[in-house]
Amino acid sequence: MLEFMRVYYILSKVAWAKALENRSQVIIRMLSTVFPLLMMVVWLTVVNQVGPAANWQRSDFIAYYIGATLVYRFTFTFVVWEWDRDIRTGDLSFKLLKPIDPFHYFLSEQIGWKLFDPLLLVPVVALFVWVSPEVHYMIGLGKWIAFFISIIVGFALSMLMSCAFAMSAFWSTQSSSLYNLWYGVGQFLSGFIAPLPLFPENIRSIANLLPFRGLIGFPTEILIGKLSWPEIWLGFRVIGFWIIAFFIIYRLLWRYGLKKYEAVGS
Amino acid sequence: MDFAQQSTAAHSSRPQINVQHLSKDYRVHHRLPGLSNSIRAIFRRQYEVIHAVQNVSFTIEAGEIIGFLGANGAGKTTVLKMLAGLLHPGAGDISVMGFTPHKRDPEYLRQFTFVMGNRNQLLWDLPASETFLVNQAIYRVPDKEFRETLDELITVLELTPLLTKQVRKLSLGERMKCEIAAALIHRPKVLFLDEPTIGLDVTTQAAIRDFIRIYNKKYNATVLLTSHYMRDVTALASRVMIIDHGSIMYDGDLYSLVERTAPYKLLQLTLQRPIAVEDLLLLGEIESIAGLHVTLRVAREQIKEIATSVLTTIPITDISIEEPPIEDVIRKIFHRGDVYA
Repeated sequence: MLEFMRVYYILSKVAWAKALENRSQVIIRMLSTVFPLLMMVVWLTVVNQVGPAANWQRSDFIAYYIGATLVYRFTFTFVVWEWDRDIRTGDLSFKLLKPIDPFHYFLSEQIGWKLFDPLLLVPVVALFVWVSPEVHYMIGLGKWIAFFISIIVGFALSMLMSCAFAMSAFWSTQSSSLYNLWYGVGQFLSGFIAPLPLFPENIRSIANLLPFRGLIGFPTEILIGKLSWPEIWLGFRVIGFWIIAFFIIYRLLWRYGLKKYEAVGS
Repeated sequence: MDFAQQSTAAHSSRPQINVQHLSKDYRVHHRLPGLSNSIRAIFRRQYEVIHAVQNVSFTIEAGEIIGFLGANGAGKTTVLKMLAGLLHPGAGDISVMGFTPHKRDPEYLRQFTFVMGNRNQLLWDLPASETFLVNQAIYRVPDKEFRETLDELITVLELTPLLTKQVRKLSLGERMKCEIAAALIHRPKVLFLDEPTIGLDVTTQAAIRDFIRIYNKKYNATVLLTSHYMRDVTALASRVMIIDHGSIMYDGDLYSLVERTAPYKLLQLTLQRPIAVEDLLLLGEIESIAGLHVTLRVAREQIKEIATSVLTTIPITDISIEEPPIEDVIRKIFHRGDVYA
C-alpha cells in the first residue's frame, strides 16, 4: 500500500512538473476556470432586467456560480481524450507494459492537477467573495463535510464516466466525439448553464436521477444551503448508483477491449 | 564499475521462452481516398484478413541473444507484441518465464522490458531523469538498487549531459539512449528489442550494441532483437530466426545459415600486375574486379586447394579468404523465398 502511495505521489508530482513546464497551459486553465462565472454574468443581467428568477436573488446567483467555479475545477476530468489518443495511436502499449493498471496513470495525473488547480482558483474565488459582501457560505460544519464528500464522489463519478466512454475507442475512432455529445447534453442537466432549481419540475426530477447533476449542481447546491438533509442523502444515493454502474461498464469494456487492442504504430 | 565482469547466473533447464503453434490474424479495413468513399465506407466496409503470424513455434533458453529477422510486415513485431502481452494470440500458446503474457501478471511485467525503437515512452516535456524516477516507483526498485543501476547506465551509455535536458530537446540518438536506460531501470531478465538502433548514426549504434552485449553478460539476460541493421545481428546474435509472411523460415546458427545459403567463400586477391580474365575464371566465379583487386567466389570445399594454387601460380601481393557478407545472404533468402526450417 505504501509503495502504491509512492507511485501516486511520483505520478502526481510529474503532473505538477508538466503543468509548470507548460506555462501556456497554466494560463489556458486559469482562463477556463472562469467559464461558470461567465454564466453568472448572464444570469445577473437577467435578474437586473426582469427581476429574480424562481425566487433566486442576485446574491444566490453569485454564490451559486462562485461555488460552481470551485466545484467544476475539481470534478471536471479530461481523461477521455487521453485514453482515446493512447488507444488510437498505440501509446497505451507503454502503460500496458508496466506492472500497474493504466487507470492509475490517468487517476494520479488528474489528482496532480486537482492539487495544482487551487493555486489558480483561490485568488479568483477570493476576489469574487471579497467584492460581493452579500455572498457567504454559512451552512454549518455538517453540510461543509457533505460538500467536501460530494466533491470527491463527483470527481470519482466524472473519472469513471469518462473511462467508460473512453473504452469505446477500442472499437471506434469517435469516442471523444461521443463523449462530447454526452457531455454537451450533460452540461445542460448538470446545473452549469442554469441552476437546476430554476428548471420546470418534470425536467428537474429527471435531472436529479441522471449522473450529470453530481458533477456541478449537487455539490454547489449543498454549498449554498439550498438542500435539506433528505435531499442530500438522495443525491448521494444517485451518485453512488452511477459510480457503480460506470465502474462495471468501464471494467467490462476494458476486459473485452484489451482483446481487440492492436497495439498499432510500430 | 565493472559492468562486464560480473558472473552470470546458471542456465535453467526449462526454456525461458516457449512458443507453440502461435498464430494471429488482423482484420484490416480498406477505404479508397475521397469524401464519397468515406461516406460509402460508413455503410459498407471492405475488410481483408491478414495472417500476420502463422503457426510459429520456438524455444529460447535464458541468456541467449536471438536475432529476429524479416522484411517489413513479416510478423516480427507482432510476435514480440504477443510475447510482451500487448496482443492476445489468435491461436497457440506462449510461456515466458512460466507466465502467460497476455494475462499481464504484474510479476511478469516486472521482469521484462520492451523497447520499441520508433516509439517514445519518456515523458516528453520533462528531463529523462523524471521518467527514471517514475519507473523506479512503478517497478518498486529499492533506492540503493536504483542508484546502482542508474550509475551503471549513466556511465555505459554516457548519459550525464542528457539527464537535465527536456526529452523533446534531445537528438534521436540521445533520446534512444535514455529510452534504453528507462527500459532497464528494473533490471529485466528478458529484453524484447524492436529496432533499438533505427535511425541512429553508426557510433551510437555501436554504443547501443556494446551495451546490449554487456547487459546480457552481466545479468544473463535473454535478448530477442529485431533490426534492419545486419551489423546489430551479426555483432550480437549467434542464433537467428527468420520470419517471412508470418512463418518461421529458419531458426538456427547464423553461420550455418550462411554456409547453406552461400555455398562459397570469397577469395580476395591483390594482383602484382593485371592478368587475363580467362585465367581468373579457372579459379572461380568473378564477384568483382577493381583495378588490381579481384574478388572470386570459390566453392567451400575447394577453397583451400585453390588458395594454395594461387600462391604458387599467380603473382599477388595479398590474399584473404572471407565469408560472404551476411546482409547479402539474408537479402538473397528474402528474395528467393527459400524455406530453411
